[in-house]
Order: sequence, then C-alpha cells, then structure tokens
Amino acid sequence: MTLHTTMRRLLTTATFAIALPFATLADAKDITIGLTSDPTILDPQAGEELSSNIMFYHIYDPLVRRDGDLKFGPGLAESWSLKDEKTWVFKLRAGVKFHNGETLKASDVVFTIDRLKASVMSNLSANIASATAIDDLTVEIATPGPYAALPNDLAAILILNEAYVKSVGDTELGLKPMGTGPYMLKEWVKEDHLTLEAFGDYFGGKAKIDTVVFRPITNPATRTAALLTGELDVVQDLAVRDVERAKAEPGITVLTRPSLLNILLAMDVREKSPTIALDKNPMTDRRVREAIARAIDVATIDKVVMNGLATASSQFVPESHVGYVEGADFHAMYPFDVARAKELMAEAGYADGFTMTLDATNNRYVNDAQIAQALTSMLAQIGIELKLNMMPKSNFWGYIRTPSENSSFIMSGWDVPSGDAGSMYNALYYSREKKPGYGEVNRTSYSNPDLDALLDKADSTANMEERDAHLQEATKLLLADIPMVPVHYEQDIYASHDGVTFTPRIDKFIWAYEMDVSE
Amino acid sequence: MFAFTIRRLIQMVVVLWAVSVIVFLMMTFTGDPVFMVVPIDATQGEIDQARRILGLDRPMIVQYGIFLSGLLQGDFGLSYVFRQPAFDLILERLPATMEMVVVAMVIATVLAIPLGVYAGANPGKPLSRLIMSGSLLGVSLPGFWVGMMLIWVLAVEFRIFPSSGRGDIGTVLGVETSLATASGWHHIILPAFTLSVGTLAILLRMTRAGMMEVTRQDYMKFARAKGVSRRGVLYGHGLRNALIPVVTIFGLQLGDLIAFATITETIFAWPGMGKLLIDSIYRADRPVIVVYLMLVALIFVVINFMIDVLYTFIDPRITVK
Repeated sequence: MTLHTTMRRLLTTATFAIALPFATLADAKDITIGLTSDPTILDPQAGEELSSNIMFYHIYDPLVRRDGDLKFGPGLAESWSLKDEKTWVFKLRAGVKFHNGETLKASDVVFTIDRLKASVMSNLSANIASATAIDDLTVEIATPGPYAALPNDLAAILILNEAYVKSVGDTELGLKPMGTGPYMLKEWVKEDHLTLEAFGDYFGGKAKIDTVVFRPITNPATRTAALLTGELDVVQDLAVRDVERAKAEPGITVLTRPSLLNILLAMDVREKSPTIALDKNPMTDRRVREAIARAIDVATIDKVVMNGLATASSQFVPESHVGYVEGADFHAMYPFDVARAKELMAEAGYADGFTMTLDATNNRYVNDAQIAQALTSMLAQIGIELKLNMMPKSNFWGYIRTPSENSSFIMSGWDVPSGDAGSMYNALYYSREKKPGYGEVNRTSYSNPDLDALLDKADSTANMEERDAHLQEATKLLLADIPMVPVHYEQDIYASHDGVTFTPRIDKFIWAYEMDVSE
Repeated sequence: MFAFTIRRLIQMVVVLWAVSVIVFLMMTFTGDPVFMVVPIDATQGEIDQARRILGLDRPMIVQYGIFLSGLLQGDFGLSYVFRQPAFDLILERLPATMEMVVVAMVIATVLAIPLGVYAGANPGKPLSRLIMSGSLLGVSLPGFWVGMMLIWVLAVEFRIFPSSGRGDIGTVLGVETSLATASGWHHIILPAFTLSVGTLAILLRMTRAGMMEVTRQDYMKFARAKGVSRRGVLYGHGLRNALIPVVTIFGLQLGDLIAFATITETIFAWPGMGKLLIDSIYRADRPVIVVYLMLVALIFVVINFMIDVLYTFIDPRITVK
C-alpha cells in the first residue's frame, strides 16, 4: 500500500466516523443535484432557461402533465374534451391544495392564462384565444382555429395562484414562488444552493425524497470533482472528457439520453442570396441542396467532433413526435457520397462550386464551433468554399432573425418539447408573410404551396389522428425537398451515485418527484 | 486635505459618468437582449411585446436618459433576465466576494511581507533563491490551473477540503458571512488561497526589490551601528521605506480581486458577484453590467483615495494636495 492510499483510507475512515451517527439519526431522505447554472427567476412567466424550468416544475403544476418520454397525461386537469372544433373543456381535480393551503379554482387557471398573454413568454399561449371559468372546477379554453395539439401546449403552462400573485406582485413572485407542485421552496441562496422541501398535501401523494438541494456549478471540472467527492448525488451535463473518469469510479453510473435539440443547417432558397456573389443563388436548385446533404458526413462528425455522444437525426423531429414518419431516414435517403454529390453539382451547372458564409454560434451548442469547422472541410470537397461567421449566442439570434438579410447558410438548433411537429413546421417552413403567425422564423425563405396546404389542413382539425396524418405527409415532403439538413441530436450526459433512482427525461427537466434514494 | 477630498469626489463623478456612457455604447454592439428573453420561435408581435416590457422599444438616447434620471433617484433599473433590481442582485452577492478577497489579501500579505523582507535582506542565500523561484511560479501559473489542481489533489484525492460552494453562513454585526462558521472557513481556504497566489507573488517581489534598494542606504548601516537589532533595522527602517510601492500595488490588486475574482468564483462555484458579471455579459443584460462596472469604478476610486491618504502615514514627508 502506498502512502497515498493509506492516507486516503485514513481520511475516508475519519469521514465515516463523523458521518455515521448523523446518517443513522436521519430518516428523512435528501439528495443534492449539481446543475450547470442557477435559476434566474422563479416566475414561470418570466423566463425559460433550463435551470429555472427545472424549478418551475417542482413548485408548480400544469393542467396536462408531460412525462419523461414525452407522453401526455392528466395533471391538474383530470380530463378534457372537445365541446366544438375550437373549444376545449378541462375538468380540474377537486381539492388540489396550493402550498399556502388554498384550494385550486378554475379562476386561477383563467388568471394564469391572462397574465401569460401579457408577459414576455406570451409565445406559450399563442394557440389560446381565451379561457373562461364555467364553475369552480371547469375551464373552457378557446383556440383561434381548430387545434388538436392544445393539451400538449398546456403542459408548458404552469398554474399560478391568483390571490397570491396579486398580493405579492411581480418582483416578489420571482423570488418567492408558490404553487401546487410536489415541492415548496425552502431557501434560495443565489448562486450557492436552492433547497426544496416536499409538500405534504401534494395531490399526487407526498414525494419520496424529502429535501432536494440544487447547487449551480458552472465549471464542468468542478462539477465532476463534487460528484467524485460525494458532495453531489447527481450531476447534469457531465463533461465529455470526464465520462471515462466517472465510469471508472466505483459507485458512479453515467447516464446518457439523446436530447430533443435537433441541429439543423438552413439553406437559403431566395433567388439572390446575401453572401453568394452569383446572380442566381445555386441553392434554389434542389440538386445543389442534395449535394450539400450528401457531402456532409454526419457519422464522422458524431464520432470525431462529438466523441460518439450524438445521435444522427433521421428527420426534423424525433420519433416521439406527432408527424414523425416511421422508417424514414434523411441520412439513408442521402447517404454520405462525395462522388454523387459532385455529379449533382455538375448537373446543376456548378461543377466549379461557389463561395458562401456559414453563420453559427460558438457558445450555444455542444462543440458548435468545431462542427462548423468540420463542415468547411467537408463542403470544400464538392467545391463549396464556406466562410465561417461565428458569434456568441447573444449576437446570433438577432443577426439571423428573419428575414435573414445577412445569411445564406445557418446552423442552429430546434427543439419541440410539445411533442408535435406542427409548431416547428409552421414557424420554419410555412411560406413567409402569407398568414399571420406562420413562417415567422422561416430562415430559408422556403415556400411550397403543397406544404402550406398540408399544414393548413393539420391546423384545421381538432382530431389528433388526422393531424398526425397531415403532418406525416408534410415530413415526407420536407425530406424530399431538403430545405434544411438535419444533423444530429446532442446527447445529454448525467452521472449519479449508486442508490439514486434516476432516469433522465428527454426534455432535460430533472424532476425529483420521480426520483428516489435508498436509505 | 479637504480640497483634495472634494477634487477626488468630482473626479469620481466624472469617472462614473464616463463608465455609464461607455457601457451603454458598448452594449449596442453586443446583441439584442430581447432575443435572450424570448423563445427562438417567437413571432414579431411577441418580440415587440417583450421589447416594450423591458423598455427596449425607445431610442438609445432616451433609454440612457431614463437610466440617468432613475440613477439620481437611487433606482438602477431592473435586470432583463432576473427581473429584479440590478443593484440588489449585485449587493446580495457582494459579501461572498468581499470575504474571499479579504481572506486572500490577508494570506498574500502575511506571507509576502516576511518572505520578501528575508529575500531582499539575504539575496544570496539558498532559501531566498527558493522563495524567488516560487514567486516566479506564482506569477506565471494561471489561477484556474492552480484552482483545479487544488481541487483535484486536496478535495478529490485526499478529501481534506470540500470542492466547491460557500458552506454555512452566519451573521456577524448584521452581515451574513461564511467567516462566521467553521464550515464557511473550511470552504473558503481553497478559493481564497487560489485567488491570493498571483498577488502574493507580486507583493513578495515588490517587497524584495524595495528591500534590496533600501538595505544599501547609509541610514541602514548607521542604525545598525547605533545598536538597533537586525530585526528592528529591517522592519522599522528598511521595510517602512520600501513600503510605498508595495502599498500602491496592494491597492490596485485589492480592487482587481474584488472586481474580477470571476475565474476563481467560477471554478469553486463561489456565489460572488464576479460570476454575475460574466453571466450578464453572455445574456446582454445591460442594467446589471452598467451598475456592476460603475460599482467597480467606485471601488477603485475609493481604494486609490485611501492609498493616497495612507502614504502620508507611511512617509510623513508626503502630503496630499
């Protein structure tokens, strides 16, 4: 035994000797979870970044509950039905208690939706025309047109207590949240820890873990260190380079799960493109778009740039979504094939290639800058010279904002936590300026009347099967027409100590209510 | 002294005003904060609504006017992201930064002065050479590397210190500080030491240089000949005369550590205000950045003022004008 291990054993023994009496005393279960950042605000209508979202779902409940696999089921509403094409009736659970002891009423739901409409997050209520309380436990929600995916949308709207919000005001609400959720806020020391305590009167039964502590640790190496020392039971976003180290440590399990975030390459199809010096934009020709798709070797990007921690995206939305076509795979339709790509370029009349600029972030997606660099060399193979224009995300969203006056080729991610391809297709692929609220983020200026018609049909039925069928047609059309190249889904990486029951959710929202720890 | 104070106050107001203008101008190039708040698929109407709520729909000059008039009433504006008063956000993180900086400066001073005096008075000795090579290492090693090494060795391998966080917080004279609890001290040692390394090395080298200069002076020999003990000569006569540049550097370093302890705070997940600055820059959260940088400017002005006054105590020949 070396001096080093002797010392370590001694110290470990010492730690145990101190820790044991406490461990036997405490019956209450607790867990400490390391997050990448502190929540910014605890008002669910004032922000949307991940850490805040994780807290929202502990403290508040939605009418419709979305599970970790994106299946939708009853939440605060126990059932819902269609009254007519545009009106939904939601029946609330009886006797649901807020943390302050008040009972949930339909008027709270109405208040929540009205407040949301006037907030920075009004996007969440885009498909709600109005909400009306019929009696204490019945809410009618009207949509602007027939809209089958309304229950999915409601999974993102968390119900506030009207009287409480009005009495504390907006600023205070962001610090002292109060909802019906399985956990109550006990303490929030900014940037150090946020402690939640199980709510005894939770309508779904009290949580198994009594105390949950979230610690924001931004530096990935420190997060790993705190996991190894046992200061943390679970970590979010384990750094790729620490995966092997964590796996080697006894008593630690590394968990991965493909995320919902699809990295997409948007190709401008306007007649004249901002960064292409030619009179006619080559990408208006479908053959050029196919050539680009075939020149990109996603398998290599995922292996080399992503260390195997990415999943090639077969379509624009993942399998769990409405509108996904069973068996269709973009990368099987257009496999990596430089020779064929060159042929297509020649057929289209661009055998000598052309030059354009790729706009990409350098701090938003996993290894985004490296992916952009890999694309440069891959497209160079078919004569397309890519100039890189990379910027931090704070500049990026404004820069690429539609009508995308600066961009020809954009790399960005898109996720649809509502589990429905419709909202994405309507925003990204519907013809621009044809219908209000549609094509708002159509960065490629793609316009196809057939697609518009399919999306119109999907949005004019309140029947989910019909909607799914229309959206699947739309997916097939998009896969054939290639307005964008889907690249991959990043994988989320977590690690946990043995004894923690934890299954990562596809929407990344760590939820202690579905977790447990052994005594 | 009075005129000096007044002049410094006027200077301060000018500096603060200049900082606010520069930050406002700078922020027009760092991206539109609205896009940090709204979802990426937000429609134009939703973006306009968010812009109105955040007060970003007015022209820049009007926004600056609103900021200035708010400032005069003690209102520093709301953060775009946190939706809380920007000043409160900084203030609630200030104690954590201050306690870490104070401990770091104490570590640096307590080690640097005696080691520097020794190395300056005994330039040829092996121990002096060791001290000097050590200080060279301290100047050149980046703080994040030192921090990570300390975490890996002392927290992960030997489990002597916790890897991160601030520990329990107690209250002393109405201020919440981790220095009031044993757990707090346990947590602060690694980050404070990491933060002190650079300053320690610089102070040590300044002290040594000053001492080497001073020990050659005639009054040192005279004092020794007069029968003053070696220790008394070194600290009473030598150090005192070598101290002016050291104090200057001390002041600058103090300001620097308070304002930009960001890296150490990030590595040790220390809930201080430096991390807030970095996060706010990423989020284009202008109100926080403006107030933060104005506060930093204020701290620098105040520290330099105190240093100037301190000179007169160290060397009575100096007067403030």
